[in-house]
Amino acid sequence: MSDSIKRINAIARKELVEFVRDWRTILAIILIPLLLFPALFIVMPVILESEAAELREMSVDVLVQGDLPSDLSENLSAEGVVISYGSLPDDIANLSDAGGDSQLLRDGEYDSILRLSDSDSGWMFSIIYMSTSEASRESRARVLQVMNAWESNVVNATLVDAGLDPESTLNPVRWDGDVQFSDAATKGEQAGLTLSLFIPLVLAMWTATSAIQPSIDMTAGERERGTLEALLTLPASRMEILMGKWLAVATITGVGVALQIAGLLFAITYLASANVIGVPEMSLIAFLLLAACVLLFAIMVVAFELALAMRSHSVKEAGSILGPSILLILFPALFTQIINLDGVESFWFAIPVVNMLLAMRELMLDRVVVEHVLIWIVSSLLYAILAARYAAKQFSREDLVASIS
Amino acid sequence: MLSEILLNLSRVSKTFGDVEALSGVDLQVNRGQVLGLVGGNGAGKTTLLRLMSGVYAPTSGEVNFSDGKQVMLERGRLGVVPESTGLYHRLTAWENIRYHTRLHGIKDENAWARVIGFAKALDIVDDLNRHTKGFSRGMRQKTALLRALAHGPEVLLLDEPTAGLDVTSARTVRALVEKLRQEGGTIIYSTHQLAEASQVCDRIVVIHNGTIRADGSPEELMDVTDTESLEEAYVTLTSEKSRTRSEDDLKEGKMASWWRRLLTPKQGGLEDE
Repeated sequence: MSDSIKRINAIARKELVEFVRDWRTILAIILIPLLLFPALFIVMPVILESEAAELREMSVDVLVQGDLPSDLSENLSAEGVVISYGSLPDDIANLSDAGGDSQLLRDGEYDSILRLSDSDSGWMFSIIYMSTSEASRESRARVLQVMNAWESNVVNATLVDAGLDPESTLNPVRWDGDVQFSDAATKGEQAGLTLSLFIPLVLAMWTATSAIQPSIDMTAGERERGTLEALLTLPASRMEILMGKWLAVATITGVGVALQIAGLLFAITYLASANVIGVPEMSLIAFLLLAACVLLFAIMVVAFELALAMRSHSVKEAGSILGPSILLILFPALFTQIINLDGVESFWFAIPVVNMLLAMRELMLDRVVVEHVLIWIVSSLLYAILAARYAAKQFSREDLVASIS
Repeated sequence: MLSEILLNLSRVSKTFGDVEALSGVDLQVNRGQVLGLVGGNGAGKTTLLRLMSGVYAPTSGEVNFSDGKQVMLERGRLGVVPESTGLYHRLTAWENIRYHTRLHGIKDENAWARVIGFAKALDIVDDLNRHTKGFSRGMRQKTALLRALAHGPEVLLLDEPTAGLDVTSARTVRALVEKLRQEGGTIIYSTHQLAEASQVCDRIVVIHNGTIRADGSPEELMDVTDTESLEEAYVTLTSEKSRTRSEDDLKEGKMASWWRRLLTPKQGGLEDE
């Protein structure tokens, strides 16, 4: 191993040791990325389902104003609706006019009010509810469901009385077979499409955000703490110092991204076992290109963030520059989501940040378009080199030390 | 017999933007000598030390070893203790030292063997495996000294090594410097303290407003200025009004500087009614 590589290695190792000795960073680079997707895909749906089940178990109090047919009353009771009776108010313009009854809902006496009126032209009804109350919304949903079913029965009975077949009269044009089997895309391909819409976004954002803190700590932080001057008196060149620090930040970011992907794969496997989503189908070449894409992106982003942090005179200044700089990733990343991949123009693959995100989207769909791949590899290499050169320039500045005191 | 010159500064100037921090400095550092750099705040001591430690390149002139090699390219021959000590607080004292010796290309076992001897002299053997976060100023200074000595430098550069230390710690540091001098070490010692400079150094260089005003033993400085004490000699040599600007004026960008001035009242905080 050459002396230069030994020095780069020593710098990177020291940075990593120092970084992991802070338990908060361990939390940030291991636990959060590892648990993010499982929390999002597994725990969240479980909580939502348990909340929904709780709502389903709950009985709701409904005040019925007007005449309630007996079969409708039975159907409502079967849905867990506790019925109270009252008469229609006189001072309302129509059945949807809540009038003074809104206070009954506000006071929690009832969850909703069902108003019914029989006329020559048929039944009129409305459901008065409060959209800000969970129980009121649930009550409205149940009553509406029963009313819709009751309406169907009324319609069907009317058609039968008129000597018509309800099915052919109401649905003269029908889909034949099961609609979900008409999609030629496999479940894996469908999963690839779904995941390609947010995984590149998450990978890009996580790479950019997780590199901020170590970048600042290893540059502006070192400068502020006065340790940089001692480092600069050593035989290591500025380029070696930059390389060592880049390696450390890239390792931290890489570990974070890898753990996040591990968490994602675990969540996908779990969802696939529950038949919620398929496992994306990717060829080996697409997978390797995806890894190269993330690596090139990380080289560029980490070098750029190290350079910005090194330019700053303090940790505070670095934070106020690097924080908003995330928007440089976020906006192109969001914009990329709306670009149609079918027939996408090649020049998009040469635009910084956009090229990486589009490339990731394409590769997750297992589309390896040679022209696109060549463009994003060449352009990304160019951007990574430019970012590295910019970082090297910042590390060569003499006022790195001038501003310490 | 003339002493062997180890370090040679020839017509060295250093400017930062339009601030001339050092101007036309000629200085030879002899092997086995303890050279004191004395001057007020902003005089140029730290700039001179940074030039000699290879952190800065001179704007003009040369800073070379006697064999003609540039100091900047031969930093491995130097041991530096900056004023801030520059210790990483999440590393132990030994890890701090080892980090530097590894960058000097010294094997860990060789570094340890050398460090342990000096650690005994500084009475910090038991603290080598402690994290430096809880270290007192004195402990930090001792650790930084050990770190600077661990690779066996030809020249030791100390920037205010006793600043902020209690009496006992300062004595220990001075005793180590004395021990190194007796062993033939070459030391450049920057300090504000005239008494300390006369006690520790063989030769004192007085710097004022970026130029060398005097260079000699304490007695020679008093002779030159026709004064009775080193303090009087120093006052005489630095009687010219100190400049107000220094390299630190450059720490702020133009935009930041403009913005700060814009939002600063012009009359010392007294705003017009």
